[in-house]
Amino acid sequence: MTRLALLFALALTSCGRHEPAADLKLSNAWARETVAGQNGAAVYVTIVNNGAGGDRLLGVSSDAATHAMLHSTSTDDGVMRMRHLADGLDIPSKAAVELTPGRTHIMLTGLKQPLKRGETIQVRLDFERSADQGLDVKVLDPAAAGLQGAR
Amino acid sequence: MLRRFRIAAWILVAVAAIGIALLWFRIEQQPSATSVSLGGPFTLVGADGRPFSSSRLNGRPYALFFGFTHCPDVCPTTLARLVQLRDQLGKGAQSFDIVFVTVDPERDGPKEVGAFAQAFNAPIIGLTGSPAQIEQVKKQFGIYSEKVPDGTGDYTVDHTATVLLFSKGGKFDGTIAHEEQPAAALAKLNRLTS
Repeated sequence: MTRLALLFALALTSCGRHEPAADLKLSNAWARETVAGQNGAAVYVTIVNNGAGGDRLLGVSSDAATHAMLHSTSTDDGVMRMRHLADGLDIPSKAAVELTPGRTHIMLTGLKQPLKRGETIQVRLDFERSADQGLDVKVLDPAAAGLQGAR
Repeated sequence: MLRRFRIAAWILVAVAAIGIALLWFRIEQQPSATSVSLGGPFTLVGADGRPFSSSRLNGRPYALFFGFTHCPDVCPTTLARLVQLRDQLGKGAQSFDIVFVTVDPERDGPKEVGAFAQAFNAPIIGLTGSPAQIEQVKKQFGIYSEKVPDGTGDYTVDHTATVLLFSKGGKFDGTIAHEEQPAAALAKLNRLTS
């Protein structure tokens, strides 16, 4: 029985190998400086997939906070809503997925210390098919940060 | 016979015309809903912990935004954007006030709204209040907000993210939507401050 399961698993892995791979490049990762009392921060990043295969961002983690998750922001009838993307985020092949203000971000809650401009924090991205990737996130001045990305 | 009929017809036309005129007059007399119900005087609490009366906003137009300091995305983006628009307008930081009111008074005391308002390198008035005061002001300005569990044992707040504009006389003058293009927003602020 165990052998059969192993064989089945092997068969699945070898099937997977025939699919073209994703080729992910991460860039422009940033977060805003936090102020006293703020225990959370949003992290933004651009994910470019140059590969012929698609991928999916399944989860995120960071040593800088007790919790990290993917969030989407939507505005309907003027009301802003922020929700956890429990199913992750699709990264299609030959596409750029931008996590930008007002749309999608990595939410850090329970920051272990306030984020100060000029610092860098580390966030790990867990992909369905590609290897996990570490991300150096630059902490920026809230007054200047991300306005070009906002709708 | 025909003549009598013609007179009766003309009388009918006259009565109808008077009726329509009266109806029109009545509609014109009705004030529009927004000009009566949106805004009005309020008292909240300033970043210094002291009562803040809306009369302190008199004499200068203001842009009013409701949010919360734990809001990581839309609130800082909106405030940074308002500061940037005020810079682009080129009429100085005195041209209009930017007012931030928390919809989360349980977590945002005077210290928290003060620190948040100061994070944007420009004057922003940060206000909080008792939960009852905030509820009252939300009602006055037509603001919706609701706490939603965030999955970590804490909560986030769904809320109206539209910026409300008021003239220097305190009259409602329009809105800037979250999705609004900078050129359109700038045109509204230009009109507000001229």
